[in-house]
Amino acid sequence: MSALTDQPTQPRAPEQERGGGLLRLSGRQIRFLALVRRECNRFMKIKRQTVGAPLLETFLYISVFGAALGSRIHTLHGYRYIVFVIPGLIMMAWAMNAFTNNASSILQQKFQRSIDDQLSSPASPLELLLAFSLGGFLRGGTVAVLTFVASSILVDLPVEHLLVLLAGLFFVGFFFSQLGVLVGVRAEQFDDVAVYQQFVLMPLIFLGGVFYSATLLPQPFETLTHINPVYYMIGIVRYGFLDYSDVNVALALLVLAAATTALFLTNLRLFVSGYRLRA
Amino acid sequence: MALQIEDLVKRYPTGTEALKGVSLSISPGQFFGLLGPNGAGKSTLIHCTTGLAAPTSGAIRVFGHDAVSHYEQARLAVGLAPQDLNLDWFLTVEETLDYHGGYFGMPRRERRERSRELLEAFSLVEKKDDRTRTLSGGMKRRLVLARALMHRPRLLILDEPTAGVDVELRLELWQYVQRINAEGTTILLTTHYLEEAEQLCDAIAFINGGEIVAQGTSGELAARYGVSSLEDAYLELVGRKELSRAHLVAEEAV
Repeated sequence: MSALTDQPTQPRAPEQERGGGLLRLSGRQIRFLALVRRECNRFMKIKRQTVGAPLLETFLYISVFGAALGSRIHTLHGYRYIVFVIPGLIMMAWAMNAFTNNASSILQQKFQRSIDDQLSSPASPLELLLAFSLGGFLRGGTVAVLTFVASSILVDLPVEHLLVLLAGLFFVGFFFSQLGVLVGVRAEQFDDVAVYQQFVLMPLIFLGGVFYSATLLPQPFETLTHINPVYYMIGIVRYGFLDYSDVNVALALLVLAAATTALFLTNLRLFVSGYRLRA
Repeated sequence: MALQIEDLVKRYPTGTEALKGVSLSISPGQFFGLLGPNGAGKSTLIHCTTGLAAPTSGAIRVFGHDAVSHYEQARLAVGLAPQDLNLDWFLTVEETLDYHGGYFGMPRRERRERSRELLEAFSLVEKKDDRTRTLSGGMKRRLVLARALMHRPRLLILDEPTAGVDVELRLELWQYVQRINAEGTTILLTTHYLEEAEQLCDAIAFINGGEIVAQGTSGELAARYGVSSLEDAYLELVGRKELSRAHLVAEEAV
């Protein structure tokens, strides 16, 4: 090993400004950006799996349900079947990717114990939680935006209520992002994440009305759909795109915001206590 | 004090009491060895100091900063090279250092310069773009130590840093940590290699059953147990004095 000057430095105040460029960031801001960058770097390094595969999956759904079924179901509530389905697919892409990313990232880092590097840093539980949450949120958002752009090229996809759409997608993404964090923190093996994804989330999303309108279902299935929270999420997003919804959009948004906040606070409590993260 | 621990208790939810009121003081610039058998509480003490475990009760201060409830300043002053090679498989060698520097608030230019220094110092330049999972055990060990030094900590904690490394690397590592200690970095070392602790540390504590049972220089510890070396003092501590080389020589003579 070659010579190196390692005189230790005095710990610096976190709010002290760093850097000499145009953008002067405080130590806290640098830290938070590093935590978020790490999460994004992780999924971008395996983008074929984390972005490419979900995109392909979404387009397979569009092909099968849009082209094949769509040729038989011409319109649904006055919309072309493919146009009716795409908002749900965009929401599903954001939700599933936000969930999977965070659950896998946290579990993998716990498994390798590489998470200790972040846990022993000066980062607060809130900073850690937000950084882990944003990783999945941004991955889901990337897949959803790419799906939207590509869909818009293929079909004429309207955006009738932009603010409702943005608010709806934000809360859906953040809700599933939090759910991913919760499952990742609680999980002790990779099977725990897969079980939750395949046996809980997929059925909820598929039976929530991504590919159909609940009003077309016979009883008791129509009523049963109303106890599925994903049904209301799809309702908000579909309203944002198409100006059509089976649900009370304002109430659904309010409940979704409340549920997201509750989940976030639950996770924050886990991070503060160090549940299954610290000994 | 560089590290001051007072009456530290760590009780796990299972009921196991890993630390039973440990008190310890390490002066700035000291090279301090913490020795004890497996399960004695060494790693738990380190985890409590670095935020990887929550103490049940007691106080920990790093350079006067509370390391438990207002930990930000305390953690900025500590660098940890853990026993496990806990590297992120997705990151390259250089990214590992860069992110670590970021977590400690280092601006980009400073991170770039510091990581270049460390890559050269630890002979990792050629591996800088390799993912950590492709490194050999020795290279991973170097990287774990480089990462701990990235933010120029005032207190460096080395938890069995030479476990499983070859002789050449071990000697290189010791020369390196001796140099940074001479330059002012306080070091807390746990190791099972007693001759190294004897050679490197200017103060040593024995921990057993979650309690500090003896503390002093290696000579003082040997004298306390009425033996001639740190190794014999350690064997007295763990109740295995029949393994002492002096004891075996005496038996052969009989």
